[in-house]
Amino acid sequence: MSQFDPVPIVLDINGTQYRVFAEPRRLLSDVLRDDCGLTGTHVGCEHGVCGACTILLDGAPTRACLTYAVQAQHHEITTIEAFGGDGNLSPVQQALHEEHGLQCGFCTPGIVVTMEAWLAENPDPTDAEIRNALSGNLCRCTGYHNIVAAIAKAAARRREGSPT
Amino acid sequence: MTEGRTIGAALLRREDYRFVTGQGRYLDDVVVPGSLHAHFVRSPHAHARIRSIDVAAARQAEGVVAIVSGRELAEWTTPYRMAPPIEGLRAVGFPTLPIDKVRFIGDPVLCIVARDRYLAEDAAELVTIDYDVLEAVADFDSALAADAPLVDEALPDNLISHQSFTTGDPGRSFAEAEVVVEASFHQQRQTHAPIETRGCCAIWDQGRQHLTMHIGNQVPHPFRTQLAARMRLSESQVTVICPDIGGAFGQKIALYREELTVAALARALRRPVRWREDRAENLIAASHAREDVARTRTAVNGHGRILGLELEISEDFGAYCFYPANYLARVVAMILSGPYRIPNYAYDIKVALTNKCGNGPMRAPMAITSWVMEGTIEAIARRLSLDPVEVRRVNMLGAADLPYQMPTGLLLEDVTPREALERGLQAFDIVAFRARQAADRACGIYRGVGLCCVVESTTYGSAFYKAAGIPGSGHESGWVKIEPSGAVNASVGLMASGQGYETTFAQVVAEPLGVDPNEVRIHMGNTDTAPYGMGSRGARGGTAGGSVLLSAARALSDKVLTIAATLLGLNTSGELRLHASRVERRLGGAWTDAGLSLADVARVAYLDPLRLPPGMEPGLEAHRSYDPPPMTFSNAMHVCEVCVDVPTGKVTVERYLVVEDCGTVLNPLIVRGQQQGAIAMGISGALLEEIVYDENGQNRSGSFADYLLATAVEIPPIEVISQHTVNRKTLTGSKGMSEGGVMGATGAVPSAVNDALAPFGVVAERQPLSPMYIRSLLRGRADRGPGQN
Repeated sequence: MSQFDPVPIVLDINGTQYRVFAEPRRLLSDVLRDDCGLTGTHVGCEHGVCGACTILLDGAPTRACLTYAVQAQHHEITTIEAFGGDGNLSPVQQALHEEHGLQCGFCTPGIVVTMEAWLAENPDPTDAEIRNALSGNLCRCTGYHNIVAAIAKAAARRREGSPT
Repeated sequence: MTEGRTIGAALLRREDYRFVTGQGRYLDDVVVPGSLHAHFVRSPHAHARIRSIDVAAARQAEGVVAIVSGRELAEWTTPYRMAPPIEGLRAVGFPTLPIDKVRFIGDPVLCIVARDRYLAEDAAELVTIDYDVLEAVADFDSALAADAPLVDEALPDNLISHQSFTTGDPGRSFAEAEVVVEASFHQQRQTHAPIETRGCCAIWDQGRQHLTMHIGNQVPHPFRTQLAARMRLSESQVTVICPDIGGAFGQKIALYREELTVAALARALRRPVRWREDRAENLIAASHAREDVARTRTAVNGHGRILGLELEISEDFGAYCFYPANYLARVVAMILSGPYRIPNYAYDIKVALTNKCGNGPMRAPMAITSWVMEGTIEAIARRLSLDPVEVRRVNMLGAADLPYQMPTGLLLEDVTPREALERGLQAFDIVAFRARQAADRACGIYRGVGLCCVVESTTYGSAFYKAAGIPGSGHESGWVKIEPSGAVNASVGLMASGQGYETTFAQVVAEPLGVDPNEVRIHMGNTDTAPYGMGSRGARGGTAGGSVLLSAARALSDKVLTIAATLLGLNTSGELRLHASRVERRLGGAWTDAGLSLADVARVAYLDPLRLPPGMEPGLEAHRSYDPPPMTFSNAMHVCEVCVDVPTGKVTVERYLVVEDCGTVLNPLIVRGQQQGAIAMGISGALLEEIVYDENGQNRSGSFADYLLATAVEIPPIEVISQHTVNRKTLTGSKGMSEGGVMGATGAVPSAVNDALAPFGVVAERQPLSPMYIRSLLRGRADRGPGQN
């Protein structure tokens, strides 16, 4: 059973170093939630389809449920807790609130994380591009209409806020 | 919010901050130190006898604390029994976990409790269960075949429910008809797929002999009633606490066997036990929905007027009845006529048990209704070569016909189907569409428009349940308290799973009390705090919950003003009101501050009660119950434009518009969000979703790669045009909404596809409208040329 024995794992999450002791088979999603207490990352399908567990690994959207915690060492991990926790909502968070782009809220952290990263690379998207980028995040409540409106609004705000 | 109106304001949701920042508290976020994790070993067979179970190796596995089967649970819990006195419905019962026989793939057989979920699943690999595999019944027809294997061996056959009804003289209408039109509608098996799966955490307090159950459930009190009874506890020994719920859609109503097992294990082990099902379990073994076939026969005159209608429904209910098996199809049959005048009507409903996961209500349990009625109208139009819009107009009720007693006795009132129909056609500009459709068709682009006129049954008062032969109450309860500081708390028996109750109900309570809705806190989901209500289901939250809280807040406002009058030395409170957390007095026609705040009055009510009017009880709280009308009805007109790619069979929804009338709206932002969400669920069901069982009862839909949910790419923008015809029988004037969108899309999408494919002379009568199905219709067919609209 030695391959199951816990090993020390060091994770760099939202700029803070977390030292945990976990089995190599433990999913990053579970380690974030259970070992690090960062419960904003939600687990919806555990097979990489629903997108609720999306985090950033070195800035790139990644499914925490398809990643082992041991693999995430030596990478910068960003979770939903990095956004808006101090009361200043990110552009996507603020726009989701204003456009009623969430209902039960379970898929919302994954959408915030995914779209904040995507807007950084795609500052001026069309609605069709937004829908395409959003297609990796399932939402069973909203019908996406208001989420798309929120992302467009957040994109416009980001553009206004940028010096160029 | 001028003049103190808070009902109807488009306030942003106060729930949002915690959700957008990842600080929502869902079940898995509730930390219970020392909790063990449960995992269920499930049947790999659709139908099999359990010969023997060997758990010796599993018991030795690391971290395993207990492994129990149906035998232990039968000692600790009471079996399930569903025996409502309904004609044609068979009583059923089953143990907490199967003891002798499994009835579907995913049926739970053993529960393993271990230190963590990984270890519990490891141990499951070491279990050996010897099964004697039996022949399975995997669909309605084989379930009812002579000599079919029995799903439930306590019953004489698999026909779990059979009911018929006739009103007027359908036979005569068919004899007098110029034509008789037949149509059929096959709705596939679906499942709710909330993004948060089921789960619970049970804590047994041995010293107090008390069970606390943390669970995301739509109906906390009815759930507690069941849980206590099955645990052989009194309702005073059980507290149900609902955290935030990551979607429910009807799946989180029943007390499921897994949840009862977890509670029983927590008591037996005297340790907290928690359970979280994985997605495969949720898709295979939680609860399914729909899978019904409806057939209509319509007696029609040459102008398309319906003289009589006969409906036959056959529903495949799966293996276990967590709800009365007549319930879902019965509602379809009761409201089928919708906005149309149908004098002679008969229905016949058969529901069969099969070796599949048990069915339950899913957002719009009656989802098929409008498709059946509107599809029947379109079949009439095709048969008589009439414009389907004209056939609707010929049969549709107008304002002068209301209130109208539907053929099944329900009273249709305060609805606007004609106005919605015309407004929808105009807003969509159907004339321009027809021109575009014709031009595109010439280039091989096949567009279609689909219409669906919906009458949505909502709220469901107790009188409806009684009349329909469905057990249950339709009442809701609430309380409002003004605390000594003037802070306002309120509670209701409903539980939210995304509907924004914390915002809308604060708006309702705030209005009579003259306070800012942000100062009203709504408490839900804890059965020790919340009053006993029937919970969230059937689009009843806004109307039943809003009405009861309005009633309680008004009662409290009266008391506050009576106290204020006494404090001000007035004989009557008639010229006083509450506004901006202050008492105001009308002097010479103008409202002026009376020098008292709500907090001043509250302080006196609690802390200086000798200043109250003689005989008045100290404190400021009001508790009310409310039983809504037997049924409230919303109505809507859905217009959907699709493009069908003929070579591949792919259907793309290009435009979606709805005119919806749900009466008074508590918060238009939230109502529109519900309507859009419901329509998206309907589109997703019409195009993509399907639980597939093969002929042996093997479930082939165990992942989101197999069970497809619509993404943002498949769902178009959804335009909503609102009408607000007040319901005169509810306190707020609202009717329910949030299921009608599913009904409308379920009807509008196939209607649009049939319009697009009209040149090929084919009619889609099955869902989902998958590329494979569309190609199967088109294979060997060619465009028969213009004029085939």
